[in-house]
Order: sequence, then C-alpha cells, then structure tokens
Amino acid sequence: MSLLSNTATLLGKELRTEFRSRELLTTTVVFILVVLILFSFAINPTSEESREFGPGLLWLAILFAASLMLQPCFLREQANDTLSSLRLAVSDPFSIFLAKLIANTLFLLLTEVLMLPLFAAFYNIPVLPQLHYLLLVLFLGSLGVSIAGTALSAISAQARMRELLLPLLLLPLLTPVLVVSATVSVSLLDREPVVQWKGIGFLAVFDLIFLTALWLFGEYLLEE
Amino acid sequence: MAKRIVLGFVAILLVIAAGYASFFVAPTERTMGDIQRIFYFHVGSAWAGMDAFFVCFLANLLYVWKRKPTYDFLGVSCAEVGLVLTTVVLITGPIWAHPVWGIWWTWDARLTSTFVLWLLYVSYLLLRSLIEEPERRALLSALFGIFAFIDVPLVFFSIRWWRTQHPSPVIMGGSGSGLDPTMSKVFFFNVLAMHVFAAFLIVERYVVEKMKHEVDLLQREAEAL
Amino acid sequence: MKNLSSIFAAYLIGWGVFFLFYISIAKRTSDIRAELERLKNSLPRK
Repeated sequence: MSLLSNTATLLGKELRTEFRSRELLTTTVVFILVVLILFSFAINPTSEESREFGPGLLWLAILFAASLMLQPCFLREQANDTLSSLRLAVSDPFSIFLAKLIANTLFLLLTEVLMLPLFAAFYNIPVLPQLHYLLLVLFLGSLGVSIAGTALSAISAQARMRELLLPLLLLPLLTPVLVVSATVSVSLLDREPVVQWKGIGFLAVFDLIFLTALWLFGEYLLEE
Repeated sequence: MAKRIVLGFVAILLVIAAGYASFFVAPTERTMGDIQRIFYFHVGSAWAGMDAFFVCFLANLLYVWKRKPTYDFLGVSCAEVGLVLTTVVLITGPIWAHPVWGIWWTWDARLTSTFVLWLLYVSYLLLRSLIEEPERRALLSALFGIFAFIDVPLVFFSIRWWRTQHPSPVIMGGSGSGLDPTMSKVFFFNVLAMHVFAAFLIVERYVVEKMKHEVDLLQREAEAL
Repeated sequence: MKNLSSIFAAYLIGWGVFFLFYISIAKRTSDIRAELERLKNSLPRK
C-alpha cells in the first residue's frame, strides 16, 4: 500500500531529522520540567493534595509543552519550501500528516516517559503500580494532542503571529483531552486505583474522530 | 435592499413583542419569582447562537467543497453574530444565577461547553484577522471552523461525564417536569424572535463582507492598470 | 417585583451588546460604501 510505505518513509525522515539534533526533545523535556516545578511553587501542595492535583498539572504541562513543540512541525517545511516537494513526492497527502503526527506522538511520549520519574518524585506519587494503564492514557492523550496539533499547526503556519496563534487555536480544542486524561490519571494514581475504561474509550473516540477529520480535510490544509 | 428593511422591521417588532410577552403574558414562576423572566431572553439567545454556529459550520463545509466566496461571507457573518449572541448568553446567565442561586458561575457541562465554544469562535475570528490573502483566509478559517464545531459535542460530553460532581442549578423543577403551557408559548415565541433577529444581523453583516470583496476586486483592478 | 434591578441589568446589557454590534455593522457598511464609490469613480469607464 503506497500510503503506508510513503508514511513509513516520511516518518523515517521526521525521526532522523529530530534525532540528529534532538533540539525539539531536549527543549520540550526541560520545558515540562520547568512548568511542573513552577506549579509546585505556585500552589505549594502537601502530600495529600498533590495526589489530587498532580496528574492534572502534569497534563496541563504536557499541553503547554505540546503547543510549543508543534510549532516547527510545518514551519520547518517553509524554510526551503520542502512542503511542495513533499506533496509532489507522495500520492496521498494524508501520508504527510500521518508521518508527522506519529512522529509528534512519539516525541511527546518519549518526553512524558522521561518526565515520569521526576514527576513521581516531586509530587510524591508512586507511578509504578499502574504504569501500564498510565502509559495507555498517556499514549491516547498524546495521540489526541498530536492529531489536533499537527492539523492546526498546518493552519497557523500560514498565518501571522503563529507562535501565539497555535496555542490559542489548540488549547480550547483540546479541552476534552485535558479533562478526561487528567480525571482518568487521577483515579489511576489514587490510593485505591480505579481504571476508568469509559474515559479511555472516550480518548480513543476523540482520536478517531479527529484522525478521520484530518483524513477527510488534510489535503486542503496543504493547498498552495 | 427593500427585503433587508422589511426583515429589520419584522425582527424589531418580534423582539419587542417577545419582550412584552416575557414580562406581561408569562405567569410568574413559583420558586424564583420575576427574575425567571430572563430565561426567555437568555435561552432564546442561546438557541439562536447555536444555530448561527451550525449554519457557520455548513457554510464552512460548502466553502471547502465549492470554493464560492458567498459561503465565506456567510461563514464569517454567522460566526460573528453567533459570538455576539453567545456573549449575551454568558453575560445574562450569571446575572440571573447570582440572585437566585448565589453563584455567578459553575463548571457544569452546559456552561463550560458554551464558554469553550465562545473561545473557539473568538479564535476563528482571530485567525481570520491574521491571514491577509482572501482565498487562503477563507479556506483556512473554514477548515478551523470545521474542526472547532466537531469538537463541541466532545467538550460537552467530556464535562458532562467527568466533571459534574455537584448537581447543576435546577431550572424550574428540572428538565423533566415540563413547562407551564403559557410559559411554553412565550418561550418558543422568544426563540423565534431571537432567530429572526439573528438572521437580520447576519444579513447585514453579510452585505458588509460582500462589499469588502467588491472593494478588493476593484483595488486589484486599479493596481493592474 | 423581586430582583427588578437584575432583570433590568440583564436586558439592558444584552440589548446594549446587540445595539453596539448593529452600530458597528452600520458604520462599516457606510465606510465601505464610500470606499466603493470612490474606487468606482477613480477607474476609467469601460
């Protein structure tokens, strides 16, 4: 299937580009770290409260970091007009989006996994017991952030004030992801953990809906 | 032009009549008293706002499909009018809520999704202001409008299922209890009036957009000479 | 009437917002119309 092979090739390119310099990953990790630390200065959580608020703050930090991390997604294609070459190279423009959103999801996940031990330490929340479910929620949530973020970054890249515009477009749109991911994470990391399958299902549905929308409308996002 | 004036007159008349009905025809509500009368104006505006956003969504889809500028004009007009209506909803709601329930705001499904909806369409208009080229602006804002609109039910249900811990303000005995028949008639009359008024505003805004387009065309012609 | 000031405030602010919006449209309409006339007159007749 040419869609899959195109996507695989482009994905390889995205990953290679990033791992050559690793600047996106390092900046994102440091940013989430700074935000988490600042949160703890701002609200001064005691051990008990941090169980309730910690996961929500983690997700908030992820959202902020993502809205910055997604900026270069289409901007870097503008430098040498590589987007036109990409469009000519592939039969289905959706493969460009697919490659980028998979790469973005992987970058986000990698950042979150690196952050997890630090989060557990700062907020005194053991994450190991429910790690597998936590990773599932992180995956589905990050996927949602990436899908919406990749689509919107294609839009904001073509406007002025794009650095401010992307967060402004993205963050209200991601309200459902924030609410559900945070709530599910809180109940997972509770003293008596509960796996909210309805929430996990909802995140999967969110991802599916926006992936479908991106599939239907993606080619128009890339129009010259 | 004549049709626009007629629409304007009809809209104003309906709105005045609806206001009169809200104050003098509808009976006084048992528990809340007269302040409940805001309900007719408040919910009428809310429904008209939602419908404006829905028409905007349809216009966005049609633009992406057909690329006729008229759909872009319709889209931005509906978005602006919808935003104005939603702003009024977000202002009149707390004014009603505070004397009755002692709170200005609550994060239940309806209020939160209305607020997020408001934010999304503010972003829609902001996006438009940041793209100069007309066709690009039309296309990109239409695409964002589509994404924004499909997000709305997701926002509503996410809050409804995961945030409503305390019961939200019960409106007149709860939604299942049904409305007094006179109140019901006054209510639907208000809904009609607000819709006609919204249509009037949309038409007027559409005309501005259409003329801006003509100006743009003439300017390009002038530059070509 | 209980809470008369609240109903009054709500209707006043609400219709105030609508009125201001309409005024802004009307102003934009007349400005654009003037601009349109200016441009039409400045272009040579076809």
